[in-house]
Amino acid sequence: MSKQNPSYTNPKPCKHLADYKLRHGLNGFKTLQNCLKTTPYGRTSVSKHKSETPRCSLCFGYQGRLYFCLICSSITCSSHANEHSQSHHGHEIAVDVERAELYCCVCRDQVYDPDFDRAVVSKHFMDMPSNVNGVEGVVEESNKRRRLGLGLELEWKRSKRLISMADRRAKSIFPLGLRGLNNLGNTCFMNSVLQALFHAPPLRNYFLSDRHNRQSCRRRSSDRLCLPCDIDVIFSAVFSGDRTPYSPARFLYSWWQHSENLASYEQQDAHEFFISMLDQIHVKEGKSGNQDKDNRDCQCIAHKAFSGLLRSDVTCTTCGFTSTTYDPCVDISLNLDMSFCPSTGMTNRTTKPNENAIISTLLGCLDLFTRPEKLGPDQKLYCQNCQERRNSLKQMSIRRLPIVLCLHIKRFEHSTIRKMSRKIDQYLQFPFSLDMTPYLSSSIVRNRFGNRIFTFEGDESETCTEFEVFAVVTHSGMLESGHYVTYVRVRNRWYKCDDAWITEVDEGVVRASQCYLMYYVQKGFYYKASEDLSCLPMSPPGGESYLPIAGCC
Amino acid sequence: MRPSVNRPPTPDARLDREKEPSVLEIINIKLIESGEKERLMELLRERLIECGWKDEMKALCRAFVKKKGRNNVTVDDLVHVIMPKGRASIPDSVKAELLQRIRTFLVSAAV
Repeated sequence: MSKQNPSYTNPKPCKHLADYKLRHGLNGFKTLQNCLKTTPYGRTSVSKHKSETPRCSLCFGYQGRLYFCLICSSITCSSHANEHSQSHHGHEIAVDVERAELYCCVCRDQVYDPDFDRAVVSKHFMDMPSNVNGVEGVVEESNKRRRLGLGLELEWKRSKRLISMADRRAKSIFPLGLRGLNNLGNTCFMNSVLQALFHAPPLRNYFLSDRHNRQSCRRRSSDRLCLPCDIDVIFSAVFSGDRTPYSPARFLYSWWQHSENLASYEQQDAHEFFISMLDQIHVKEGKSGNQDKDNRDCQCIAHKAFSGLLRSDVTCTTCGFTSTTYDPCVDISLNLDMSFCPSTGMTNRTTKPNENAIISTLLGCLDLFTRPEKLGPDQKLYCQNCQERRNSLKQMSIRRLPIVLCLHIKRFEHSTIRKMSRKIDQYLQFPFSLDMTPYLSSSIVRNRFGNRIFTFEGDESETCTEFEVFAVVTHSGMLESGHYVTYVRVRNRWYKCDDAWITEVDEGVVRASQCYLMYYVQKGFYYKASEDLSCLPMSPPGGESYLPIAGCC
Repeated sequence: MRPSVNRPPTPDARLDREKEPSVLEIINIKLIESGEKERLMELLRERLIECGWKDEMKALCRAFVKKKGRNNVTVDDLVHVIMPKGRASIPDSVKAELLQRIRTFLVSAAV
């Protein structure tokens, strides 16, 4: 299956561009480099004479878009560029003065050429100190990636045997893996995350194919406490076919042992629980003393499934020097994007935004996350090139996507100044299918230089960038007294998991919910998982779709 | 013959320009020379992204391309389509901020 992302492919040049290249090759591009001016932000423009304002040679206008002819260097505006090419044969290709992008005067359209883009970007390297804008090389070989955890899929076949021998007492015809969890005293934060994790393909495959064998684990370690063992117990219970609500008491006790500071009957944060759970799995299973900065090599199931790599670029706005750091992550925490209102015009940041008019979207939040952020004057960072503290720009991007992507919406605002916390109830619209390409490091870094068709860093085309949501943890109510509910998607039907009660719901209900944690999985894993759950027949179409299967509490 | 002798010379755009640069042009030249224009452009870009204007223009472009078909649209078409709406929908606060910056610049440049 071709994974070629259309935005990376080289658009076909128009015949004028093709003609130009045949006749002039790269000479024009190289000469152009002398006329290019660069800024620390990554913008390139054509500036032939530093003191003169560029003007159209036919109308002397200086406003709007101006084009610099690659043959004769004359400048024309967008209204007259076509005229220039008509009166001068062969003068068809020009360069947008402000953006340093190719334009065909006959086709009246932007055109693309990788050699041109290379020439423009090389100019940056020549002008600026090394490591400008965090680009490590003009073109890099795509790194060989180890395919993570795909071997786990084969293990799933083994586990089918275990499941087909399961208890067939099940009255309902819901798919496997749906079982209510009793609330043991404000433990909905735990139940909600567990329900989501039961349906995370890598995790589910791992535990159900007995990869963490409780007997051999007990034999191996003298330490009786093992969270993965307890997780294994729950997985077996939930996938056994028994539909009566299960009490995860032993798991709770085990988790308390490991996180003493969180051991109480108080309401906790689901996200915090999720992180702590992954951490505990890692501690038990990961290679001991694995100091590898990049968790890619960690063999524990928590990291295999959830670990990704974030890239942070800090650019000095004075000289353009960029310092890049990579940090592993198991989730991405997003601030709510409150700025966009599509239908009734823009919300003005200075006027009080009308909450009803703002539509926040997940894509908007991801945009906000990867947007260059001007660090305030009190946050000046040390620039290695300037040798002093300078105003800086920071930009985040995703270097490597995990198999399971957990997106955390920061709805709980804690203000240290006012010693107050509050919850942001703003509704967030999210898609069921998510393409993460625009947030990858290669896309973000590439966009710094304008509209280029060029990839800089190791092309991440090997990784699947298309994700499907499989679980949404929602929160309702207030900060101190709220309730967590999870919606899980099994074989394209949605089920609401509210502690002990599991009910099938319409996808509209899920879309309208107030999401807090969203779990997406790479498309390949999602569809494979759907196929494998063919042990039990699906509920019949129409009619009886609202069968609750538990309710004894 | 005689009328042609008295006919005033054909106006030449080039000569006309050299006579009298408008105030707008002078300001523009001063802004560019001092590098202030570039700073103002960066500021403007930042503000237009923050308030969602860029996203709205993107949405307009996408809708237009969808309607016309990806291969039937040129950059020129897009610019003509979104220019009126784009110009009209710039928030007043952004306009005010930039005008203030330009005013400040002019005051300091006049000194």
